[in-house]
Amino acid sequence: MNDKKKKILLVEDEKALCLLYEEELSREGYEVTSAFDAESALELLVNGSFDLIITDIRMPGKDGIELITNIMGLRRDIPIIINSAYQSYKEDFMTWAADAYVVKSSSLEELKNKIKELLES
Amino acid sequence: MSELRKDLVTGRWVIIATERSKRPDDFRRNNLDRPAERIGFCPFCEGNERKTPPEVYALRPKKTPPDTPGWRVRVVPNKFPALNPGKPVQKLTQGVHQWLPGLGVHEVVIENPDHKLELSELPVEHISDILGVINSRIEAIETEVQYRYVQVFKNKGREAGASLSHPHTQIVATPIVPKRAKEEIYGALQKFRQLKECVFCRKIRQEEEEGKRIVLKNEKFIAGTPFASRFPFEVVIYPITHSDHFTDLSGKDLISLASILKELLGKLKATLGDPPFNLMLHQSPNPAASRDPQETAAAYHWHIELFPILTKVAGFEWGTGFYINPVSPETAAESLRTGF
Repeated sequence: MNDKKKKILLVEDEKALCLLYEEELSREGYEVTSAFDAESALELLVNGSFDLIITDIRMPGKDGIELITNIMGLRRDIPIIINSAYQSYKEDFMTWAADAYVVKSSSLEELKNKIKELLES
Repeated sequence: MSELRKDLVTGRWVIIATERSKRPDDFRRNNLDRPAERIGFCPFCEGNERKTPPEVYALRPKKTPPDTPGWRVRVVPNKFPALNPGKPVQKLTQGVHQWLPGLGVHEVVIENPDHKLELSELPVEHISDILGVINSRIEAIETEVQYRYVQVFKNKGREAGASLSHPHTQIVATPIVPKRAKEEIYGALQKFRQLKECVFCRKIRQEEEEGKRIVLKNEKFIAGTPFASRFPFEVVIYPITHSDHFTDLSGKDLISLASILKELLGKLKATLGDPPFNLMLHQSPNPAASRDPQETAAAYHWHIELFPILTKVAGFEWGTGFYINPVSPETAAESLRTGF
């Protein structure tokens, strides 16, 4: 078994939420790096290596859908989870570039299950 | 002077208010009107098959495996659907309210592998293949009686609701017959009892006699602007021979339909400068799940509605159900026929 911690890039403009996710996901054994906007996320991606990306959609500057399309131009092998408070973005077929869409909720169980599923597949 | 016109089948009234406008040519768009495409990646393009759910149907060379390049038309389920397939369910009640679990089918027909190749630019044979694929999917979905209505629609352009410009059509099957379909079928049944024949067949005959709202006609189909058009340049395509369901079409019919559709889209492009549009198939409900399939089959007549998005639906329309149309259907038909 590979003991190396899986690295997650979290793109979320709400800093309090980032802290919560970092804490919860670290407890699951993941190494989480947060970016508060799409531009910083792209910079981190160019300079670092990640096993999975979680991104919000509604963010200042580039939105999450634009970020995903940019990521597709850089590399397509990293699984992406959209984590938005809104269901309505599901109607945008560009979200298909992501591997999963998890609507934000008070419990992170669905998100944790999806992370596990994607990292194991 | 404006005119109030009533749709014979639905009973819906529209206001043809030509003095509010504008010549037909004023609706022509130029390139600057179009919102820029914001993407550099498209999940529908050939080579990106891994980004879609596994295909449920495809036209591809026999030697190519599913979900690989080489296809001509590809159908995939919606990756993040609002409705999910499942077993038949009963309507549930909660006090005075009714509800159902979100049962349904939502599929996307990717019309061709090339992101930029519009439906109107494809050869007639390819359009016929797309229509044949849609036909096959409707047949497959309707084997399951929990899906009472299959809706086929195409949104082209952002203003028409398309989130991606790669040409595609959507198929949505629902466990209930939608209100608009129900109203149209109810209206057709009422008129059938009164006229002792299909009201759409009667309308087609009258349109052929008058001629002024016909845009195109071939041996099997007729396209024209409805007498009570809700929107400028709204067009309807009818099969000339009576039929209530799209799946009645044979191979030759598909070629004829593909041909009139291509020509019509070409005329819209030439007259209005490639406008965004919505295209919808109206057909009878799943016959396997209908209470009176025979009477509906006799009274209803399937058709395709197409309207370019040239005006905005606003408070008056939402509030009253009336529509105000600034271009008379006669003027619109003439413009489309002549290209001016």
